[in-house]
Amino acid sequence: MSAAPAIAAKPAAREPGNAFPVAVVCLAILLVWYVAAIPMNWVVTGPKIEGAGGGLSNTLAFSWNEARPVLPAPHQIAQELWKSVFTVAPWSVKSLLYHGWVTLSSTLVGFILGSLLGIALAIAIVHVKFLAKSLMPWIIASQTIPILAIAPMVIVVLGSLGFTGLVPKSLISMYLCFFPVTIGMVKGLTSPEVMQLDLMRTYNASTSQVLWKLRFPASVPFLFTSLKVAVAIALTGAIVGELPTGAIAGIGARLLQGSYYGQTVQIWAALFMGSFLAAALVWLVGVAERFTLRRMGVKP
Amino acid sequence: MAGPVISARELSLVFQTADAPVYALSKVNLEVEDGDFVSFIGPSGCGKTTLLRVIADLEQATSGAITVNGMTPQEARLKRAYGYVFQAPALYPWRTVERNVGLPLEIMGLDHAPERIERNLELVNLKGFEKKYPWQLSGGMQQRVSIARALAFDPKLLLMDEPFGALDEIVRDKLNQQLLELWDRTKKTVVFVTHSIPEAVFLSTKIVVMSPRPGRIIDVIETNLPKNRTLDIRETPEFLAIAHRVREGLKAGHSYED
Repeated sequence: MSAAPAIAAKPAAREPGNAFPVAVVCLAILLVWYVAAIPMNWVVTGPKIEGAGGGLSNTLAFSWNEARPVLPAPHQIAQELWKSVFTVAPWSVKSLLYHGWVTLSSTLVGFILGSLLGIALAIAIVHVKFLAKSLMPWIIASQTIPILAIAPMVIVVLGSLGFTGLVPKSLISMYLCFFPVTIGMVKGLTSPEVMQLDLMRTYNASTSQVLWKLRFPASVPFLFTSLKVAVAIALTGAIVGELPTGAIAGIGARLLQGSYYGQTVQIWAALFMGSFLAAALVWLVGVAERFTLRRMGVKP
Repeated sequence: MAGPVISARELSLVFQTADAPVYALSKVNLEVEDGDFVSFIGPSGCGKTTLLRVIADLEQATSGAITVNGMTPQEARLKRAYGYVFQAPALYPWRTVERNVGLPLEIMGLDHAPERIERNLELVNLKGFEKKYPWQLSGGMQQRVSIARALAFDPKLLLMDEPFGALDEIVRDKLNQQLLELWDRTKKTVVFVTHSIPEAVFLSTKIVVMSPRPGRIIDVIETNLPKNRTLDIRETPEFLAIAHRVREGLKAGHSYED
């Protein structure tokens, strides 16, 4: 060890027993789900169960293995996921990986565009008082309009201009996800203390020096918090963008097809795929956050 | 050097608030000569910090005249004439000690070589802490980093706003001693705001006693204590006589109140 005074590093202590409560909640949900599947599927399975002579074993067997159930049992969804992820080629239209990738690509484009737009708007709002008053109401109003109402219009207008596929979906994604970034970054860019700002004034620092050397680094924790929200709703935006386009690929398209043909198991599998994607994206932003903050020397 | 470093004539500052105007400074006259160590002392609300901020061009006077190095405070600020030490260290937590001290050099486009930064850290006895982050240092060490930062671009004038106010007395004594040595070594002009009588008497060549409502100067005391003094001087009759006069001044200021 060097002679420099060592800062005793506390071992990164994991919260004890974190896995246990999570497992209990999961088990409880599974239990409620399996029980609920019995009455919910009764419309379809009731006659079959009675035809087979009733009884508990018949009830369970039919309720939990119906091909077109109202509420599929968890293991049916797991089987469908397995089948559509691992047993088909990833580039086939039957593969959820393929559909996931289609949605993911427009999510990522929308997320990057939305984040850049959100940051740019926040920088403008923080520096120009006039914009804070004139832009903010519009930004808030933009989020009060249901995306389901706007999405078809965006797609029709862009379609007439020759843009189809990735572009309109990404734009809808961007439209949804710039908002939390703007709000978070306005807060972050104005977070430096008066003294830290006065210090820059005593140096006669330029506005851009104050931005890059003080406001922006101070806003980084706020940025990552809003990016986590933004990436999840960017995915929602991409899925919603696939619904009114009659898209044939993507998680949204898969949901739509499932509902046309009454394939509830397929809908649920697509839904889970979407959740996995969202969780993975939020996790990745979290990893980037921890990495960046550690590089910035934040107290662990 | 020709002329005083700071010269204020009939300087007043009125804050307009919702109910009534607040007279933060009223007809202040003051001269600070090159190489002086001047303390502003007084109770809270007497305008000592406001006066320092007017010198630094962080506030603007309502009436009267003030010059810093013969210029307006704004011109002096634009010429980066002074280093300012705040009540809190105000370090940037994402920068190491070294990069905090280098901040003014980066902004002013000056050379920020490690050797130059190291020299400044040596002045405040913090050599070897270059790579630490602020949260890894004690409050006293953080404030010393902020002093090194104020000295980094070698300004002739150092403005200090109760820099040791938040520290305990033992640390404060030690830093006072160090500051005095630093002042002696660098020949800077220092303007120092405090509400501690022993601190003001120990450090200063000139003590400006102030009083609130309206903020004004009650007394200006030249101390003439020997230059290389230690904390022991606080037991001497000369020291106690000056401290007594400061205390009398503060009392006189308060007698205006109900």
